[in-house]
Amino acid sequence: MDAQFIIEVEALAQALDQIDYFGVLKISQAATAADIKEAYYRESRAFHPDRFAAAPSLELRTLVGKIYRRINEAYTVLRDDAKRRRYVADISGPDRMRKLRFTEAEESQVKEEQKKKIEEQFGQTPNGRKFYTAALKEIEAKNWGAAERALKSALMYEPTNPKFREQLTVVEKARPKDEAFRIK
Amino acid sequence: MSDDIAVGIDLGTSYSCVAAVLDAAPQVIPNEWGERTHASVVSFLEDGSVLVGNNAKKNIITNAENTVYSAKRLIGRFFFSDEVKKAQAVMPYKIVEGANNSVRVEVRDRVLAIPEISALVLKEMKAIAETALGHEVKKAVVTCPAYFNDNQRQATKDAGRIAGLDVLRIINEPTAAALAYGFGKDISQKICVYDLGGGTFDVSILEIGKDVFEVLATAGDTYLGGDDFDDRIMGWLAEDFLAKNGLDLRQNKFCLQMLKEAGERAKIEVGRDGVARIHVPSICQNPEGEVLDLAQTLTADQFNRMVMDLVQRTFKVCDEALQSAKLTAGDIDAVILVGGPTRLPIVRNSVRHYFQKDPMTGIDPDEVVALGASIQANALLNREAATVGQSSYLLDVTPLSLRVGTVGGFTEKVIDKNTPIPIEKSKTFTTSRDGQDKVKIRVYQGESNKADGCELLGEFEFTGFRVAARGEVQIQVTFEIDSNGIVNVAATDLDTGQKTSTTISLSSGLSEQDIRNAMSQNAQMELAGHDQKSDDMELVEPDQSL
Repeated sequence: MDAQFIIEVEALAQALDQIDYFGVLKISQAATAADIKEAYYRESRAFHPDRFAAAPSLELRTLVGKIYRRINEAYTVLRDDAKRRRYVADISGPDRMRKLRFTEAEESQVKEEQKKKIEEQFGQTPNGRKFYTAALKEIEAKNWGAAERALKSALMYEPTNPKFREQLTVVEKARPKDEAFRIK
Repeated sequence: MSDDIAVGIDLGTSYSCVAAVLDAAPQVIPNEWGERTHASVVSFLEDGSVLVGNNAKKNIITNAENTVYSAKRLIGRFFFSDEVKKAQAVMPYKIVEGANNSVRVEVRDRVLAIPEISALVLKEMKAIAETALGHEVKKAVVTCPAYFNDNQRQATKDAGRIAGLDVLRIINEPTAAALAYGFGKDISQKICVYDLGGGTFDVSILEIGKDVFEVLATAGDTYLGGDDFDDRIMGWLAEDFLAKNGLDLRQNKFCLQMLKEAGERAKIEVGRDGVARIHVPSICQNPEGEVLDLAQTLTADQFNRMVMDLVQRTFKVCDEALQSAKLTAGDIDAVILVGGPTRLPIVRNSVRHYFQKDPMTGIDPDEVVALGASIQANALLNREAATVGQSSYLLDVTPLSLRVGTVGGFTEKVIDKNTPIPIEKSKTFTTSRDGQDKVKIRVYQGESNKADGCELLGEFEFTGFRVAARGEVQIQVTFEIDSNGIVNVAATDLDTGQKTSTTISLSSGLSEQDIRNAMSQNAQMELAGHDQKSDDMELVEPDQSL
């Protein structure tokens, strides 16, 4: 094996923690999806562990393994548009050196965001949400009386919820007058 | 060097196959009788020897309790899993519980772990290759379903070691098939490998760029295979027999085996000829002592209706794989069929309909996986590759998300499914109590955020870090998935940089000691039907006997 290559492997393995994923794949930040794939194939041909499986030097195999895992990591992030955007933002900021390796948004964080969205959409309290979703169903079925009752119940739990109030005015307008709390 | 050879072994649920690259071409190695595939059946004979392969399969009826088949359905599974419960109900051999919820089989007063059974099948493949090649074979690439989890892969690897093989790599069956298809062809295509085996279904979407075989996505169902087609026919035959004669053949394990054999034969016949005439003479006796035959005719129409939902299930899996690969069926340039059941017209036609494309012909669905494995085995021995490069590169993925357990029975994702391997990911954990001296981490695989919905791979306990107030110690845990798809875990104390020691409490696998014991026991088991090449045989000089 040529000495040049071994020097390259050693230098690259050493420098891995100082370069970003674009550097790992040897591409520019403007690379297209096709460029990324092409680079991934090129680097795979150079550093795939299978290529060195029969090489006698354990040290070489260890270094190649380390490099190739990083190549896969880089490809995984850069091929995904959403992850790539976040990553580019990360490495363009002041924290660049700490963010050279992509960290996924924690699942708990994602869940927190989802929860917030649901709360905004359907209310902050479990009972408020329950009555509000029931009201939405009744509205869809044009059961105005039932919708009004459900909304009023929802407002008992969240008196200031603007969404609940808004829907209530809509329902009150839509409801035919004679249907109001008829006593049979 | 002639002895520097590695074979490729397709260790199947129903049949296994061994191949090697000889004179620069991958070839299936037949046994002495010219058989190219061998039943993955292990029969323990009265004299203590072991029969493996197509001859062992004949013993499923006559030596039912001591003949183990479909062991792959049980490998790497927990004793409490549904698959094991189902097997207990239908298998004539005895399935018992071993340590750590593992599965064992009991034959002739011997208790064996599942990898020990698979090891005997691998040993047979090794013996077939050795007989044909005329020298010892020590190295192999063994295949497993793409959708196998870490426990199942580890157990497969253990089986290889027990058989006395240096397992160079575990590769995925569909990936091996793709390699056999595209190797040396210099093509650039997106292909789909539809692999319906005896007990598992896999689908992999690959992009082939000349020498690079990139798996874009893989999906599967490890509970779906040709066996399930047989079961449908069996069920139908049994119901019909019950209605006519008032006897349930499924109540007797002997009758059940005859029924199973009839089911399998009928499936093959109806696929080949469009109709199957089933006739099993004297399947049982009624209470009056009258000997009864089983006789029925199965038409293609009847059969297709019986199995349609099973075939439909495979396309749900195809949908999932295509979606993960961000492709549609129309983007696929070629469809490769793997596994015996793909010979069935119902399967072929449904695949053609789904992909709007004729599946590739000229590929033997029973042999293509072993051929691909042999190409990979040959590549891994290639010393020149470091300088001149390999002729092929497999870029495979992990089929399942890797997760760690969190409080309240939940899990958190560490590595996504369909991530290219080998890969590593680090996560920082901290102590939650003052003076805590160990941290326990449970590792799972699966797509549910609840621990119950995932497969437990093991519990890792880290010790040997600094003892300090809670939250002060930061332990960085690195999860690595290697090229075999096997998970490794290591931990470092972030402040001191000290590596902490790891103890893994194995979920269902075998400990190092178990494997060593099994290796020595396995070495003593004689495979029947082979000339044991012992040293003293070579000492006999033919001239002296004259």
